Amino acid sequence: MTRLTTHFQLLLVIAVALILPLVMRSGSLATEVLIYAIAVAGCNLLLGFTGLLSFGQGIFFGLGSYTAGILLTRLGLPLPLALLAAVVVGALAATLVGWFAIRQRGTYFVMLTLAFAQMFYFLAYSLPNLTGGDNGLLDVPRPPISVGGLELMALKTPWQFYTLVAVCFVIVFWLLLRVTRSVFGRTLLAIRDNEERAAAVGYNVRLFKLAAFAISGAVTGLAGAFLAIMTGIAPLSSIEYHTSEMILVMTVIGGTGNLFASVLGAAFYVLFSDWLSTLWPRWLLLLGMLLIAVSLFMQRGLWGLGERIWLAVRRKPPAGDIDAPSATEPRP
Amino acid sequence: MNVYLLQVVNGIGIGMLYFLLAVGLSIIFGLLRFVNFAHGAFYLLGAYFCFQALQWGMNFWLALVVVPLLVALCAWVVEKVLLRHVYAQAHEFHILVTVGLALVLQEGVILVWGPLGDNVATPDALQGVVMWGSFIYPKYRLFVIGFTAVFALALWWVLEGTRLGSAVRAGSESTEMVSLLGINVFRIFSLVFALGAGTAALAGVLAAPIRGVEPFMGIEALGIAFVIVVVGGMGSFAGALVGGLLIGIVQSVMSTLWPEGARLMIYVAMAAVLLLRPHGLLGRG
Repeated sequence: MTRLTTHFQLLLVIAVALILPLVMRSGSLATEVLIYAIAVAGCNLLLGFTGLLSFGQGIFFGLGSYTAGILLTRLGLPLPLALLAAVVVGALAATLVGWFAIRQRGTYFVMLTLAFAQMFYFLAYSLPNLTGGDNGLLDVPRPPISVGGLELMALKTPWQFYTLVAVCFVIVFWLLLRVTRSVFGRTLLAIRDNEERAAAVGYNVRLFKLAAFAISGAVTGLAGAFLAIMTGIAPLSSIEYHTSEMILVMTVIGGTGNLFASVLGAAFYVLFSDWLSTLWPRWLLLLGMLLIAVSLFMQRGLWGLGERIWLAVRRKPPAGDIDAPSATEPRP
Repeated sequence: MNVYLLQVVNGIGIGMLYFLLAVGLSIIFGLLRFVNFAHGAFYLLGAYFCFQALQWGMNFWLALVVVPLLVALCAWVVEKVLLRHVYAQAHEFHILVTVGLALVLQEGVILVWGPLGDNVATPDALQGVVMWGSFIYPKYRLFVIGFTAVFALALWWVLEGTRLGSAVRAGSESTEMVSLLGINVFRIFSLVFALGAGTAALAGVLAAPIRGVEPFMGIEALGIAFVIVVVGGMGSFAGALVGGLLIGIVQSVMSTLWPEGARLMIYVAMAAVLLLRPHGLLGRG
C-alpha cells in the first residue's frame, strides 16, 4: 500500500484548489466541490480514522448554515465572525450529540446519530421564527471582508468567493492532516483498530472519540456556513437526512482513512450529480445503484481503485523491457 | 369528553402502527446484526402497492393480505441476490448497500407514481365513527388497533412457539452454534429478512388510508422506526411494542399541546430514555 506523506497530500490539496479555476467554467460549482470536500474530510476523520460511522453530519452542516445565516441577516456581523461562530456551534452540537451517541457502539451508534439528525431537523422545522421553517432563511448577504472600513477582499463574484473558500479549504486540510499525524490522531487509529486494547492500554477512549466528534462538527459547520453564504439561503434541506446521507456517501465513494480521498469523493459526487441531474431528474436512482456497486465491488472507494490500478501498473513485470524501467518508476 | 383521553387512544393507534414498523427492523437486527436502512422503503412499497391495488379495483381486504406477501417476496429476492454478498463485510457496507437500495426503491416509486402524494380511500365497511356515549372514534383507526394487536399476538406466537421462532431466537444468541446444529442459517436469514420487510409493508398498507401515500414517507418512517428500536432496546419484540406505544402516545398528546413540535418531542423522548437507560427500556445491554 502506498503511504503518502503529509506534505504530498497537502500539495495535492493545494493543486486541486489551483487547478479547479483553470478547468471549470462555473465558479459556484467549483466552490461547491471545495465546500463539500471540507465536510467530507470531517466525516472521514470519524469514519476513516476513528471508526465511527456518523449519520448525523447534516446536523452540523445545517447548524453551520443557520448560524452564519442568522448572524449575517439579523445581526449584520462581519463575515469572518459569522464563519467562526458556525465553527463553534458545529463543535458544540457535535459534542452534545457525541456525548449521547458515543456511549453506544457499532450499529447502535449509527442509529443514534440518525435519530439525532431527525431530531435537529424537526427542531429547525418547529422554530420558524429563528430558522424560517419550511422556507429556510432567505437573502443571506455576502459582505466583503473589511477591517475598520477598509475593504480587504470583495466577495461579489463567484470566483472571488471561491478564493476565500479555497484558502480556508487548504487551511482546514492542513490542520486535519496535522491532527491525523499527531499522537492524538495515532490514538484515534488505535481506537479504530482495536478499541478494547486502546482502553486497556489506558486511553480514555470516550474522550478521544468525543474530541474527534467535536473537530468533525467544527469542520462540517464551517462547510455549512460557506454553502449558505454562497447560495444566499440557509434552507431546511441543509439539515435534512439527505445532507447527512450525501456527506457519508461522498466519504465512502472517495475512500476512507486517507484525507485526500475526501476531495475525490466530494468532487466526484458534486460533478457527477450536477451532470446527471440535468440529464435525468431521477438520477438518485443511479446513485443508489452506484452505492450498491461500491459496497459490493469497490470497498476502498475511488482512492482504493486508483491505488489498485497504480500497483497493478507498477507490478507489471518488465519482461524483456529492462532497458526502460524508469517508465514504471513511481513519481516523486 | 376529555381531549387527552382521545389523544391517548389515538396515540395507541399510531403506536401500534409504529410497533409494526419497528418490530421487523428489530428482529432483522437481532438475527442478522444488520441495520436495514431500506426498511422504510419496504413500508413505502407497501403503501404504494396498496394504492395501486385499490386503483385497479382490488378489494382492500385482499390487498391487506397480498401486498405484504408481495413485498416480502421482493425482500426475499433482494436478500438472495444482494445482501448475502455483504454479510462478511464491515458494517458500514451493510448500511451503504441498504441505503443504496432505499434510494433505488424510493426513486423507482417516484418514477412510477410521480413525485406528488395521493389519498387512499378508507374501505367502505370502516367509514364513519363509533360512538360510546361521549366517546367518538373513527372506525378505521379502531380496526387498526385491533388488527395489529391480533397480528402482534400471531407474530409473538411464531417467534416463541414455533421451530422457526426458536431457530431465530437461538440464531440471535449465536449464529455459529445454530448452524453447527445442522440448521440452514442462510435460509432463516432470508425468511427473517422477508418477514421483517413484510411487516413493514403491512404497516404501510394500514397507514395508507390514514395518511395517504407520498414518496418520502419511507424516510420519515425509517427515522421513527430507529427511535422506537433505540427506545425499546435492539432485537427485543416487547421493546418494539413498548417503544412504539410510548412514542405514539407522546406524539399524539403533544400534537394538541404543541402541534409544530409534536414530532420533535418524539426525539426528545428518545434522548430522555437514553439518559436513564442507555440500552433502551428493555435492552439487554
